[in-house]
Amino acid sequence: MTDVRAPEADPFESAAEQDDRETAGRDRPGRGFSLADWLKWGWRQLTSMRIALVLLFLLALGSVPGSMLPQEGTNPAGVQQYYASHPALAPLLNHLGLFNVFAAPWFAAIYLLLFTSLVGCVVPRTFRLVGSARTLPPRAPRHLARLPRSAEYGTALAPVQAVEVAATVLAGHGFRLRRPADAGEAWLSAEKGYLREVGNLLFHLALLGVLVSVALGGLFGYKADRLLVQGTTFADTQSALDEFYPGRFVSATDLGPFTITLNQFDASYISSGVQRGQPASFDAQISYTAHPGGPALRDNLEVNRPLSVDGAKVYLIGHGYAPVFKVTDARGQVVYDQPTPFISGSSGNFLSQGVVKVPDAQPEQLGFTGVFVPTAVEVDGVLESVFPAADHPVVSLIAYAGNLGENSGIPQSVYQMDTTGMRQLTADPQVLVPGQSLKLPDGQGTITFTGYVPWVSLAITHDPGQLPALICGLAALGGLLLSFMVRRRRVFVRVRANGPAGGVQSTVQVGGLTRTDASGGFEDEFASLAAELRSAHDQAAANSVLYKRSRYAKNPAVAGGRLSAPIARAGPKGPHSRVGFA
Amino acid sequence: MPVNLALGHVSNDFLIAALVIYSLSVVAFAGDFAFGRPRRAGSAARGQQARERAGALAAVGAASVAAAADAPPDSVVGPPGPAGQAGVAAAGSPAAVPDSMPEVAVPPLRAIGQAGHWVQAAMALAAVGVVAHTVAVVTRGLAVHRAPWGNMYEFVTALTCVAAIFFLFVMVRYRAWTLGVFVMGAVVVALGLAETLIYTAAGQLVPALQSYWLDIHVTAMTLATGIFFVAAVLGVVYLTVDRYNRRVAAGRAEPGNGIVRRLPSLEQLDRLTYRTIMFGFPVWTFGVIAGAIWADQAWGRYWGWDPVETWAFITWVLYAAFLHARATAGWRGRRAHYIQLLGFTSLMFNILVVQVFIAGLHSYAGVS
Repeated sequence: MTDVRAPEADPFESAAEQDDRETAGRDRPGRGFSLADWLKWGWRQLTSMRIALVLLFLLALGSVPGSMLPQEGTNPAGVQQYYASHPALAPLLNHLGLFNVFAAPWFAAIYLLLFTSLVGCVVPRTFRLVGSARTLPPRAPRHLARLPRSAEYGTALAPVQAVEVAATVLAGHGFRLRRPADAGEAWLSAEKGYLREVGNLLFHLALLGVLVSVALGGLFGYKADRLLVQGTTFADTQSALDEFYPGRFVSATDLGPFTITLNQFDASYISSGVQRGQPASFDAQISYTAHPGGPALRDNLEVNRPLSVDGAKVYLIGHGYAPVFKVTDARGQVVYDQPTPFISGSSGNFLSQGVVKVPDAQPEQLGFTGVFVPTAVEVDGVLESVFPAADHPVVSLIAYAGNLGENSGIPQSVYQMDTTGMRQLTADPQVLVPGQSLKLPDGQGTITFTGYVPWVSLAITHDPGQLPALICGLAALGGLLLSFMVRRRRVFVRVRANGPAGGVQSTVQVGGLTRTDASGGFEDEFASLAAELRSAHDQAAANSVLYKRSRYAKNPAVAGGRLSAPIARAGPKGPHSRVGFA
Repeated sequence: MPVNLALGHVSNDFLIAALVIYSLSVVAFAGDFAFGRPRRAGSAARGQQARERAGALAAVGAASVAAAADAPPDSVVGPPGPAGQAGVAAAGSPAAVPDSMPEVAVPPLRAIGQAGHWVQAAMALAAVGVVAHTVAVVTRGLAVHRAPWGNMYEFVTALTCVAAIFFLFVMVRYRAWTLGVFVMGAVVVALGLAETLIYTAAGQLVPALQSYWLDIHVTAMTLATGIFFVAAVLGVVYLTVDRYNRRVAAGRAEPGNGIVRRLPSLEQLDRLTYRTIMFGFPVWTFGVIAGAIWADQAWGRYWGWDPVETWAFITWVLYAAFLHARATAGWRGRRAHYIQLLGFTSLMFNILVVQVFIAGLHSYAGVS
């Protein structure tokens, strides 16, 4: 290896040091600052660690309202509630984007600035890493005992031979070596641990990758919801979905044309103890076809066990009860006979609410608002549900007649009824058990509560950014571990000739230092390296043709018993910046 | 499988025993401060020498094993008062050689042996307490046939167990037993509060938690929280010592406080905290990733800004800020420690407030 020019400064500087330098006073804004100077100054500020820190804080701070206030994305009902309870404040908060923090422009500004800062920091560092990988370590300093770690011992080898042996040992440990150009000098520089910076860069770039993956999912993915009653089938088309949230570049034709039938749904609950009423298991037995006319496959959907079909994933995310009603109108005709999904509110134990709309009833349209109680107990005249399973199901109905208002052109929810055009037929809610009927007054007809079936709500998602995000996340973790566990260190060897007196022909000095050894352990590594060097030197001396038994025997200091413990010294912290990590 | 109630009771008994033993160990750690004999104070000359060496050691790590073999046992170098920032305090104090930190020549067990009866008793009690605590956690797991961190009570008992084990290791490895009274004291308080305020009997989990990702995600979070717990206590000690030193420098406090003198130096505390967080941060990162994978399986998205996810993110960002702050001029030391304490505050806020009072998908605390 040839002796190249020793680098003036270590090409391998941390951003921190860069930051120190930058604030040292050069290029501050002032008179005579041109636009280019301003831009340069601004860029340097943005890419400094200080600003990155501030942006990190802003990112943390900006996330706080996203968890304290209801968000459009996760809790739209909560947002409506907030509007109702804080009519003055809510519009202001909405204006600031606080109900949709993670999609708000100001939040995007924070993380985009942060990632710009990151790129501005990481890219130059990548170049520096490449540069330092092509530059040899600095020359060995003259006084190795001044380094943070050092050791010294004698050997019977000549200086040049001793350096050769040391080079073999250090190269065997994967160190990059630098040797003097002048064959008369006997020293060696070795450096190792570039993976530290590689890991650091990998971590930061992988974070960038996570951001890109999330954006990918947002643009090319979709999310949909569908409520499916036991015994029914739906096809994954936009019209069949209850909710459809496509990404920007997704259209309805991108949906996979699969069909799913809910054959049976079972929920079981803990029936005793303090946990009584908590769910114990959910199991949805379905059959599905991946494409029209395809073979029907069977599967079990459970929580934590989604179904993958046709590039999408189907999740079981909720369930409830759909009481079955049969309605005959004044003419005696059956105008309604189907399960009607009721939605459980926050009152617990699946006390569910819903409406039954019978537009085909004659002479007037009929409507019912109802409550389904799976295990009913009457407490002070009020029905309460005491258990989520349907052990004693009842419904409580209020009947209306008149105009349902479905032709008004305003889309209506199937879970709500507009009673403005209707008159109430029954004064009090009427309670029915399965099989029981309610005769409407004035011969308006009959409603029969024939039973109930369960329903499940399914989430259907497609997220092309998912796998990239996972890979980037794991890469970030790997980079983090690398940068925490690998240390950049330099080891130097210098061999001085003593003259052949007493068999100790040369004195070997070993010195070492590390830059960032926060995780500790360099002292141990250095001690074992020094011991290995010493034992290699002893071994080589023993094999050497110059080796003389008699001499060796007289000088236990050369190859005595303590091979594994060279004298390591911790010198005072000297001015070794020339060899240190600048 | 039904819950094994008898085993659940065994677990409770062990936990109470651990609490009592920990309390005793805290008393013994405090007793060391009050009555423990100070370490052999070397001659003034050697003290000066030791101080210089300690300064050099502090800069690069600690004494090497090789040096250890050569050094006579009682030339053990310790920090002469708060080294580094210490001009003032150290100048005033005699050549005292405190009995803990950094890693020194003598093997750990011998060092404990030399540290005096109070430390020996305290360490033995802490070790026995950790064993009882571990048995409590394991029997709880056997009683409920799953990883025993499915609700908040179980989570706190498990994370304090991690903190105790981790700190026991730190105390032995880094001779940091003068910190024992603080860390074990905090463990006792946390465990006592869990026992009195949020005790939850052994029980089954809701279907959303019935996944092997519970084992992976929550285990990682428990480990990381236990480690951050230790770092937070170290941070508080750091800030206290730092404040004292600044008061001394300003002439508003008497130098040579007996407790501060025996604590590790600021630099050592800082490095220990840093190492602790460097250990916890990747574990936390892994926990967040595992949580994202689980969220994808259970809820159909890997990240949805659920309140608990948001606060895990905030915690991650704050600890990342700590790691960066330590490498930024003007942010090292005190400010960096404020940041990590802020990170721990957000972590505690997530566990104690967000999971209990803010409705979200993670509302599994089981606290009523």
